[in-house]
Amino acid sequence: MRIASLALLVLLASPARAWRLWGEASDKKIRPVQELHDARKPLEVLAALTPDFISTLRGTDLRQAYVLKGDSLDFLGRADEALGVYQLGVKLFPKNVDLLTRQGDLLHRTGLDEQARAFYARALVFEPRHFGAQLGLAEIDRRSGFLDRSASHYEIALETLDGRADVWRSYAETLLAQRDWTTAELAIARAIKIEPKNPEGHVLTAFARRAQGDGAGALTALDAALALGVGVGARRAKALWLVEADRHAEAVSEADAILKAFPGDGAALWVRARAHLARGRYADAAADLSALAPDSRHDFTARAARLLRARYPAR
Amino acid sequence: MKFGWLALLLAAPAFASPDLSSEALLRDHLWREVRQAPAGRRPKVGLVLSAGSLRGVAHVGVIQALENAGFPIDAVAGTSMGAVVGAMYASGLPLKKIFEWTSTINVGSGNDLSSARLISLLLFDKLLSSEKTEIMLRKGLGGIRFDQTLKPFACVAMDVYTGEAIIFRDGDVAKAVRASMNLPGIFRPLEYRHRFLVDGGVVNYIPVDAAKLLGAEWTLASVTETDYTTARPENVLESLLQVIDIRGSYLSQEQRRHADFLIEPPVGDIGMFEDHRINEAIEKGVITASARLEAAKESLILASVPKLADGWGVKTK
Repeated sequence: MRIASLALLVLLASPARAWRLWGEASDKKIRPVQELHDARKPLEVLAALTPDFISTLRGTDLRQAYVLKGDSLDFLGRADEALGVYQLGVKLFPKNVDLLTRQGDLLHRTGLDEQARAFYARALVFEPRHFGAQLGLAEIDRRSGFLDRSASHYEIALETLDGRADVWRSYAETLLAQRDWTTAELAIARAIKIEPKNPEGHVLTAFARRAQGDGAGALTALDAALALGVGVGARRAKALWLVEADRHAEAVSEADAILKAFPGDGAALWVRARAHLARGRYADAAADLSALAPDSRHDFTARAARLLRARYPAR
Repeated sequence: MKFGWLALLLAAPAFASPDLSSEALLRDHLWREVRQAPAGRRPKVGLVLSAGSLRGVAHVGVIQALENAGFPIDAVAGTSMGAVVGAMYASGLPLKKIFEWTSTINVGSGNDLSSARLISLLLFDKLLSSEKTEIMLRKGLGGIRFDQTLKPFACVAMDVYTGEAIIFRDGDVAKAVRASMNLPGIFRPLEYRHRFLVDGGVVNYIPVDAAKLLGAEWTLASVTETDYTTARPENVLESLLQVIDIRGSYLSQEQRRHADFLIEPPVGDIGMFEDHRINEAIEKGVITASARLEAAKESLILASVPKLADGWGVKTK
């Protein structure tokens, strides 16, 4: 009796997460399926979770079955089926934060942010620091323009996901949008420390330095990203930023390198046209701008090129 | 297992690190040129804030999103609630203060539209004074004059005896803003500068022309019209407002065409007395403006290219 009372006391005193983890760890029927899932075998997971098998499950095992089935479907790109599984799971287990968060994630990824927000909010009622719900809300708030709220959600998510460089980078982007340069650079540094070979951290550093007016530092950071093999995007940025620094010859050199690989690249043609204009070579500029703005194109780049060409017709 | 691998994988940020596509980078590059352009090298930007009674607090959210993005705003014009928000912003009040001020708006008690005053309006058939509105405005604005605001500011009222739209650009800001939001049929026309003034929303719902008078060459209008097709007025005041809103809506069709860019927070269902929905209106302003930001930037960039370009070929001439 005393032992039972003590166990009950311990359980009641446990934080919500401990209770959840204790409750969810499966040592029953679901364990072999969980192992297939952990081994990243979604097809095998789906094959194992037959209706007959699921009908034999109860409690934690059943909850976990819905999670595993939904995750596997989602991983295989069958998002609509995954959503159906999560919806059913949430109906059966309305307080399960994993199911609530996953349903929120799927809705968020399809752009249904307000519906997703409701599921994340429900998850946080039961587990206020749940990393998935916090991360989902961070993204939604950032997209919606609530940058301060977004930063707060990222900070809570990072308590759990502090080893995830991509989350540190996303957090840094929110901070950059808030113009909190110092904290942004600290967050980027964390991302680079976790993934030193990933060029995206250096690209972000470049944007942070440029935003602070450090053009030379920005170009250095872009070079670091290029050295790590980042794609053509960083070279485009470099070409445009060299134009901003009035270093037209170097800008043209970068633009030519891009055009060699991607003839017709909009940013590269724009850079070359700007360099031609700066040198007074209006006919060359008009030629590049004409290539950029055929009558059939109505996107932003083409419209800007047409306006510039009209200002400097070939002379 | 603490967290499944897929759980961590699925919790991936949806945002790719900076968009390095050609279009996005060119936009970013030109946006920087616009923001850093000295006076005269880009169009002067006018922010236009429409009338819209309580719905107009959504303008605060729109301004917040524009400020976050570093959107250049050179002049501000507003009508009615747009004049209130615009005056505060133009006078240099921090957004946080404006947010706090608008959050405390209480339509039903302790002000010019309290129940007791409305009952006396009906009993004695005598229009009310909007004096308390001015006192409330002075708490936020102080005694600032138009020539003292941080950004040039104009607001619009209507002379009820002549039907003219009166655009205020000088004198006492609080008095002019009071005139701009002086509801006809409820409040006595405000006698000011030999005019008898009522709410400017009756004749100039979206005061693009007022912004242009301030020198704006490119205008962004935040519009908070009512959705009168769903509103069901239940009292004298609501009926009157509904008629003003419908008239304003008709008039605004033309004014919309004169604005270069429109942001329209979906606040049409928020009624005059629903002050419990103020935060919702502000949030809708933030969300709508954030969703339209890239398009607004593109529009201003394209309007700026001809002027910016004048400097791009000059150096070797």
